[in-house]
Amino acid sequence: MNASLLNLEIWVIALGLVLMLADFWMPLERKRFLGYAAAAALAMLLVTNLGVCATGTAFSGMFVEDGLAVFFKRFFLVAAILVLFMSVEFSDRLTAGISEYYSLIVFALSGMLFAASANNFAMLFVSIELITVTFYVLTSFQRGRLVSLEAGVKYLILGALSSAFMVYGIALVWGTTGKLNFNELASVASQFADNKIFLFGMVLVLAGLGFKIAAFPFQIWAPDVYQGAPTPTTAFLAVGSKAAGFVLLLRVLFTAIPSVTAHWANPLIIISGITILYGNLCAIPQQNLKRLLGYSSIAHAGYLLLGVAALSASGQAAILYYLSGYLFTVLGAFTVICLVMRHLDSENISALAGLNQRSPLLATTMTLAMVSLAGIPPLAGFFGKFLLLKAVIQQAQVTGNHGYYCLTFTALAGVVISLYYYGGVIRAIYWSKDAPADLSPIMLSGPAKVAIAICIAGMFWIGLFPNVMVNLANEAVKALAR
Amino acid sequence: MTPGLEHYLVVSALLFCLGLLGVITRRNLLVMYMSLELMLNAANLALVSFSRFNNNLNGQILVFFIITVAAAEVSVGLALIVALYRKRQTAHVEDLTTMKL
Repeated sequence: MNASLLNLEIWVIALGLVLMLADFWMPLERKRFLGYAAAAALAMLLVTNLGVCATGTAFSGMFVEDGLAVFFKRFFLVAAILVLFMSVEFSDRLTAGISEYYSLIVFALSGMLFAASANNFAMLFVSIELITVTFYVLTSFQRGRLVSLEAGVKYLILGALSSAFMVYGIALVWGTTGKLNFNELASVASQFADNKIFLFGMVLVLAGLGFKIAAFPFQIWAPDVYQGAPTPTTAFLAVGSKAAGFVLLLRVLFTAIPSVTAHWANPLIIISGITILYGNLCAIPQQNLKRLLGYSSIAHAGYLLLGVAALSASGQAAILYYLSGYLFTVLGAFTVICLVMRHLDSENISALAGLNQRSPLLATTMTLAMVSLAGIPPLAGFFGKFLLLKAVIQQAQVTGNHGYYCLTFTALAGVVISLYYYGGVIRAIYWSKDAPADLSPIMLSGPAKVAIAICIAGMFWIGLFPNVMVNLANEAVKALAR
Repeated sequence: MTPGLEHYLVVSALLFCLGLLGVITRRNLLVMYMSLELMLNAANLALVSFSRFNNNLNGQILVFFIITVAAAEVSVGLALIVALYRKRQTAHVEDLTTMKL
């Protein structure tokens, strides 16, 4: 056993505990600055982690530290740092428990770190539950607001339902094969490829993961929860929780049961296509900006599933690349929402009116984020979609499956539809019809400017110089094909 | 006749379906939540019986994890439902309609 592989997780959990304890001694007016301290500590962990490249397994193969795990751990750390910056800006809207809010974000992060390393169904279940249960609290954190509580309860019921499916699925898979470890399961999975109980169990497990990434038909919760939750929670849900779902999905499909997944191209194509269309079509009539981003996140889950459906290493690498671009884009958009809609209750798109006069920086960030989400060059979203579609078309040529061409067409149609509603947001910023009620300039704190600068730099860097990130992603997915 | 693995699995599947039925048909949040716990326990029963009949203890260990996680989930869930009840004086899903479209 090699417990030193868990150093990062141990430090992150210790940080969460320290934040909770600091609540006792910190005077009330200084509590919000704990967020900066937490972000700084995480940044330090990230920098130290960049130098370490230990690989191996711990706890008899339950916990694996390989290229994929390392890639996702850095991803989650960056996401948590940016979300903590956002939470400090948000903290004046939390009536109580500011330091609990920070420490819950850190605990959710630790769940994501464990998820990145999970190589066993028990580990998968516990890490997913650590993320989900923390998010129940984070979602309903504004106890005074009915929407927040309502979002929390909806997430709770549907989340618990999906974990019940997943647990039952794990029970069936383990009962038929006797294996919990993904690598051990991979060596026997082909014998069970025709076993109905095994396949049913696998489908239930995938249903639980589909809930995490908000893929059709498990996407019902996403719009309500995105709308009702506090903005930093929504941002972390959109980036961290979704990415954790994807890393587990990749491990289950391509490490645990590769021989079975090979026959699942068509169901994956159908789910991916429907998810893209559902997200994009339902986003069109939305007035609430966070709800719009909720539907757009469903659509993006669909795009990311393109890479899963491609069943190839280039598809998996494209997922990693796309997620990295998505991280900076979505966090940039939510930071702007958090700063602009500070004193508004509605969070409607119309509240962005006149933003270009109130704060040109925020208006630019929002525009860039929408352009990147829509997939217009030269930003990160364009090259990500390009790589995903390239992987799908390559696979179509290799296998001759016409479903892949239909899927490509569907994804392109989805991109065209999405131009309409992302364009609507940009129009509201610059060319709003109704005169904006409030033209007072928005003051930005220094750290908020830093967070926004990181998001913009990330969007441009990943979009303009894709080579670095593509190489990293290609290296990372080699871990899947062991 | 001594009960075999199939009998336990049938009971577990029945429990799971009953729980699912409860979540779908009942409209009270507390009853829905109870049904969810029933589904989790159906999985526990399946794990324990597989474990007993296959002579493999891993499943029983997993059951401990599931019970622990379910306890954490219940404490958060009940707190949430109580908070909602205080705010809204109701625990029915029909009343959760603040967010639409």
